[in-house]
Amino acid sequence: MDREVRMIGRLALFLWIAGWMVAAFVWAPLVPVLGETTRVLYFHIPAAWVTVLALAWSMGHSVLYLRRRRIEHDHHAAAAAEIGILFCVAATISGSLWAKAMWGSYWNWDPRETSIFFLLLVYAAYLALRSAIEQEERRARLSAIYSALAFVTVPFLMFVVPRIYFTLHPDPIINPRGKLDMDPRIRIVFFAMLAGFTGLYFWLQTLRVRVARLEHRLDES
Amino acid sequence: MTGNAVVLGVSLLVWVLLFFYLWRLDRRVKELEKR
Repeated sequence: MDREVRMIGRLALFLWIAGWMVAAFVWAPLVPVLGETTRVLYFHIPAAWVTVLALAWSMGHSVLYLRRRRIEHDHHAAAAAEIGILFCVAATISGSLWAKAMWGSYWNWDPRETSIFFLLLVYAAYLALRSAIEQEERRARLSAIYSALAFVTVPFLMFVVPRIYFTLHPDPIINPRGKLDMDPRIRIVFFAMLAGFTGLYFWLQTLRVRVARLEHRLDES
Repeated sequence: MTGNAVVLGVSLLVWVLLFFYLWRLDRRVKELEKR
């Protein structure tokens, strides 16, 4: 029963993302300023959203590890950080392609680009730290401390810096006036893709944690 | 429209491939968990 529910859930996720992908091309209108590049929106922002979600998940489990010392929390924290980096790279690449189309260059060292680059460096250091320590308990403890502290930079780099300095990047989705300036059809596709990416993230997270659990069992035997 | 159809086709293909890769991985992990 549980297996069937999971299978249906995954198939639903597949159809959901595929369906909204088609809707992005044939149903949602284009934003006049953005033209054909409007569609990057449905990939770029959900990828950035999953980055924040995953890194927050990593921080949450790191704190839980420090409190409870259960290796399961370390598995969750590491998996979330890896997936967070993966989606951050996806958001950076899609953003860079978008920048080429809109601003004429792939990379402009714009405040948002610079801050995302620093964020990638911060979390690349997390992976380097993990791979440098062999002893499991020590690795889990030090990585948990690092991850909990590293997350402090996430809201700062993703939300504060781009708002302080002048940036070419368009207004955030919910702009400073607190309004959602979007055509209703664009809004529907956008939030549907956001939900789809969130579902994909939790699937990847569960899968990576299960692999980590197997590796752990293998190490113990 | 042709350009859009190509981009949509490639996007769907990537999604299908990624999905089936994850699906197979999921099944493999399940097999290993049973052992």
